[in-house]
Amino acid sequence: MRSLRVAHLYPRDLNVYGDLGNVITLAKRLEWRGYRAEVLPVEPGRSFDFGGIDLVFGGGGQNSGQLACASDLLRYRDELCKMSAAGVPMLLICGSYQLFGREFIDLAGRRVPGLGIFRAGTTANRERMIGNIVIDSPFGQLVGFENHSGRTVLEAGQDALGTVRQGFGNNGGTGDEGAVSGNTIGTYLHGPVLPKNPALADHLLRCALRRRYGIDELEPLDDELAVRAARVATDRPQGRKIVLRPRRRRLHRLAAVVRGL
Amino acid sequence: MRETAAIAVAWGTATLSRRLGRGGQALPGAIVDRIAPELPRKLAAELPHGCILVTGTNGKTTTTKLIVAALRRGGETVVTNASGANLRGGVVSALVSAADLRCRSRATIGVFEVDEASLRLVGAELQPRHIVVLNIFRDQLDRYGEVDTTADLLAEGIAATGARLYLNADDARVASLAGAAAEPGRVSYFGIDQLPAGLTAERTAADSDRCPKCGERLTFGRVFYSHLGHYSCPNGDFARPDPDVAVTGVSRADLDGTEFSVTAGGSVQRMRYGLSGTYNLYNALAAVGLATGLGLDPAVTAEAVRTTEAAFGRVEKTELQGRTLWLLLIKNPAGFAQVLDTFLVGRSHPRVLIAVNDLPADGRDVSWLWDVPLEGLSRGGPEVVTAGTRAAEMALRLHYAGTEASVASSVDDGISRLLAGVPRGGDAYILPTYTAMLQIRKALRRRVHE
Repeated sequence: MRSLRVAHLYPRDLNVYGDLGNVITLAKRLEWRGYRAEVLPVEPGRSFDFGGIDLVFGGGGQNSGQLACASDLLRYRDELCKMSAAGVPMLLICGSYQLFGREFIDLAGRRVPGLGIFRAGTTANRERMIGNIVIDSPFGQLVGFENHSGRTVLEAGQDALGTVRQGFGNNGGTGDEGAVSGNTIGTYLHGPVLPKNPALADHLLRCALRRRYGIDELEPLDDELAVRAARVATDRPQGRKIVLRPRRRRLHRLAAVVRGL
Repeated sequence: MRETAAIAVAWGTATLSRRLGRGGQALPGAIVDRIAPELPRKLAAELPHGCILVTGTNGKTTTTKLIVAALRRGGETVVTNASGANLRGGVVSALVSAADLRCRSRATIGVFEVDEASLRLVGAELQPRHIVVLNIFRDQLDRYGEVDTTADLLAEGIAATGARLYLNADDARVASLAGAAAEPGRVSYFGIDQLPAGLTAERTAADSDRCPKCGERLTFGRVFYSHLGHYSCPNGDFARPDPDVAVTGVSRADLDGTEFSVTAGGSVQRMRYGLSGTYNLYNALAAVGLATGLGLDPAVTAEAVRTTEAAFGRVEKTELQGRTLWLLLIKNPAGFAQVLDTFLVGRSHPRVLIAVNDLPADGRDVSWLWDVPLEGLSRGGPEVVTAGTRAAEMALRLHYAGTEASVASSVDDGISRLLAGVPRGGDAYILPTYTAMLQIRKALRRRVHE
């Protein structure tokens, strides 16, 4: 059976909420079309051979997990840059999206260098941007859930994944969301992004199958449930910012009182 | 005078709010704050046996209920936030409801479940003598941000008190909270030493499996569920502390409950417990640990554990039209996985209704459904109905796990579809998130009375 090899970056450290759903989606959509997916975990401190890898996935992480992986990931900088330039499809969510940019500046002002595949930098912030998000992208309208305190700013010449229709996106100000360099896609849409956005999942699979087997055609699947689930998410924006500062707590209390009414 | 007025107005508000059919749990507390902000502190300080706070992600309500039952059997008059209103307002409302108009408490001791983020505020104000910390799981990240933040909030909360700590030895991040105690000696641990092979687990979701001291990945000798088990840091920086109170054997575990033995201070106590699942075993163990620390008669505690039923909606059994319905609350991946393991996996063709809402009390982010190991469910060939605001998302998750669900248009429609597939004398399982559970209870009550 024809199979694709998927490298899953730091599955135990970079998996905050439902990131695994993306891997499940990639594997199942291959399986339903008669291919096999071989998912290989990249673990910190172990050596990993990226030769023969068809697709790379990385999820979001808590700050502690993200920092633990950052230095490990740098060991593969040259390899991953080459693969990205050669068109190997990659999907990076939240924490790993940040690590694929040039740098991440944490709350204490420390600089954590990234791979530099995206011409973008991220700065940590006390304010978290949380809620259902909808963006317009080359893969159609994408929906997901964002929950990030990092603000990512794209440099001139770096393409975004899409423009924000609802939600915050890269930094809550410029209206762009995510980044695309060739077939390498970074985004803050967790949610997880692929099950509700099958067109994006199939784009990644098509890139990988084209490179490995020269196959361009993907058998269509029944995605009616995905469409319904995405529609529900779109209808429930609920986006908001929270700041963990004493001043705002009075507002929270007030809100609790109002809810109690 | 102000305080008397505050109590009177708070009572009035609570009664009015209940009459209007609202919960009425937070508002009286807010009113007290406006009129007499020092009142909660004063009422807590007056309790002759002080306060006990119970916190952690999973099991607060059930554990609080067990502790209250044991204390009441031991002759105490207990004030508690039994309804699960576990933010500061709920605790204050409970305190005020037990006060008389001369600002004295009619209770002898307070037992409150407290939300992880509220521990700091409530702890500083109530100055509890005892704090129980159950576990730290991923839950409602849309509210707190991340698990690390939750652990920090708990440590800060503990540091604001001089309380004696009762910590889960099997959860590394919880056990490490001993470092936040005012005095190192004032800590005791509870944990599971032995479980039968069928009840030990593969690790499902690694919520916190890194060393709390150096960040190295912990190695596990045994895993009971999720990241709870016997762990040690390969660098030798942290290891599971020996529990003072431990489950040393389980002789029976099925849907109707658990029989187990607990070793505390050298003596072994056999217990019977009406709840199933390893997660509930930890709740009983935490209650026994605290009761032991308080010096309660072990026989009294055992009796309290035996007769206490599950907290509101956690495990409820309803008879309806000759069918048995099990209502099992789901809140986060670890809890959902436990419900699956305990009630569903391996059963042939179970009938299941999964109702997922995304209101603030449920958590707005439903992403966690993708972390639940639902793949195990498909082997039993279940018949599943999904309902709630996120019925389609749940059905999509099941589709990827190999199970096709029927999507109901409402919770009520979901119940009808579920019942249609269950023969008389049969069992069915309803797995709701919090607000869906409230809707389902209401709908079931209506049908029972019809």
